[in-house]
Amino acid sequence: MILHSNKIKNFEKTNGDTFIEVVDLSIQYGGVWAAKDICLRIHKGEIFGIVGSDGAGKSTLLRAMATLIPPTTGHITIEKFDTSADRKFVKSILGYMPQRFALYPDLTVLENMEFFMDVFHMEKQKRGIMRNKFLAFTKLEPFSDRRAGDLSGGMKQKLGLACVLLHEPKVLILDEPTNGVDPLSRMEFWQMLTRMRNEDCMTIVVATSYLDEGEKCDRLALMHNSELIEVAAPVILRKGFADLEEAIIDRLTKTDRELAYDTFRR
Amino acid sequence: MKTKTISAVARKEYYHLIRDFRSLYLAFAIPVILILLFGYALSLDVDNIRVAVVDYDRTDLSRDFLNSLSSSPYFLITGHLRDLESVSTELDYGRITLAIVIPPGWTGMIRSDKIAPLQIILDGSDPNFSNIARTYITAFVDRYNNRLFEDYLNRHTLGKIKPPLEGRIRVWFNEDLESRNFIIPGIIAIIIMIVGAILTSLVIAREFENGTMETIRSLPITASELLLGKSIPYFFIGLTDVLIAVLMSQILFGVVMKSSFLFMILASSLYLMVALALGLLISSVTKSQLIANQGAILLTYLPSLLLSDFIFPVTNMPKILQILTYLVPATYYVDILRGVYLKNLGFSEMWPNYAVLAVMVLMLMSLNIVTLRKEGL
Repeated sequence: MILHSNKIKNFEKTNGDTFIEVVDLSIQYGGVWAAKDICLRIHKGEIFGIVGSDGAGKSTLLRAMATLIPPTTGHITIEKFDTSADRKFVKSILGYMPQRFALYPDLTVLENMEFFMDVFHMEKQKRGIMRNKFLAFTKLEPFSDRRAGDLSGGMKQKLGLACVLLHEPKVLILDEPTNGVDPLSRMEFWQMLTRMRNEDCMTIVVATSYLDEGEKCDRLALMHNSELIEVAAPVILRKGFADLEEAIIDRLTKTDRELAYDTFRR
Repeated sequence: MKTKTISAVARKEYYHLIRDFRSLYLAFAIPVILILLFGYALSLDVDNIRVAVVDYDRTDLSRDFLNSLSSSPYFLITGHLRDLESVSTELDYGRITLAIVIPPGWTGMIRSDKIAPLQIILDGSDPNFSNIARTYITAFVDRYNNRLFEDYLNRHTLGKIKPPLEGRIRVWFNEDLESRNFIIPGIIAIIIMIVGAILTSLVIAREFENGTMETIRSLPITASELLLGKSIPYFFIGLTDVLIAVLMSQILFGVVMKSSFLFMILASSLYLMVALALGLLISSVTKSQLIANQGAILLTYLPSLLLSDFIFPVTNMPKILQILTYLVPATYYVDILRGVYLKNLGFSEMWPNYAVLAVMVLMLMSLNIVTLRKEGL
């Protein structure tokens, strides 16, 4: 079986420190399996992309990594800490940005940031430094007194990023962060991600439906029907194809055919 | 549980509150409006019962009877009518509650020691009011009868004979039997429920609707920290409302506590916490601001008004409703208010009420924590 051999391959490809380890993860969510037998190792300081069709289980995998859903079977560790058993600690070293804008529209940019700093019990001297750093980083300084609800789509996402960065997490988990954002803002957003990887050795796990963004990841995981199909660097994935899009479509149709064949044989 | 996290949530909640005009309006206008409304408009006392009289007799005695009626503060004679027909018109239009008809030859009957009938017609369409009116008019006729009886005894020089029984009535606690003395403090129970439960019923549902619950889940905030943080701003608003209500009832209506303010504020804090916990629970169970709001009105405001022994006496209710009143937090608080405002009771008499409220707070809060943990907090 192709799936089985892939699983082994994912582990073999490991080089560098494993930062996030997903072991035999299956999640049953509302009566259906939203993730099936997922094994995965994500290294420190890499941008790890997750691509796949809608409903493939990308969000479920990310939410499980962010400690929001407990695994039905299997487990996830981040820096050797279990997402269920050491949930509170894991939460303190990760920053998670959900798919939908999840900040307070009636609070200003600054007040939203302050809430995050309050929750992480940040000391007084550090607050000012971090606030200014990330306001500058996201270019949101001119809008610091604007209500978050009045920001444009791109600015909202930047604010979301600024908020989850304030407590200096070691890992960022981003669920389609640039969905519905204009191309220029998307480019800026990705420049920020690459800078964080290069300068702070940040580990970034990002789900995306834009394949030009997939191209910018160090490695890509391809998900389909709640299963992990393949994990590889974008260059390797698209070998023999015109571009990444074609390569991925080819793999997805192949899996569908195999699935159809399996069902038929049974 | 960390105080810093609680204060982080409280601060955020405070921002939401000061930006939300509707909530603020509800928080501060409601107590003022309710106190004014209940204080001035809702009176269960009956005075100035409007009476029309038809005097077919027209003698000194019938005139004396009517004069002493009109000098009573409870009755107001609105007109001397010619016949029964106009009495019926007055009753139809609701211009009078009571009509007295003195038949022709009435005085003659009295003088010749016969029983002299007196027709009294009552409008029963407002049973509460007419019941009280009936009691008053019966008492009045009795008194007048006694006077006539004494005259009779004096005339026959038997003046020393006295009726064997005499009830001497003394009212305790609310000496003037003024319903206002209790209605005004009682409204505080309603105000706290409205401010405490209806406002907080929006608070967690809003996080679900905005999608910010997902953010909260990913942050190191526990269920109890979230609940406490969210309660704090509303707790202070609730206490401020209690103070507003206490001051207004004292200044505008002269209703003063007989017992210590300490008992009052302690009871109010406990009852307020019950209200907050109830509102938050409704909010996290329904996850929708609209449904939560409706639910809160149905589950908190109405029972507090109807099933708390505040306006509607529990003893007159059917057994099932009576049992239900034990579940209504306002029942215990209203009882404490009665003790503090009218009876001058202390902790030794009232502690069971305090204990029940405290148990309610603990139970509701635990239920809240369980619910939120199920939501992934």
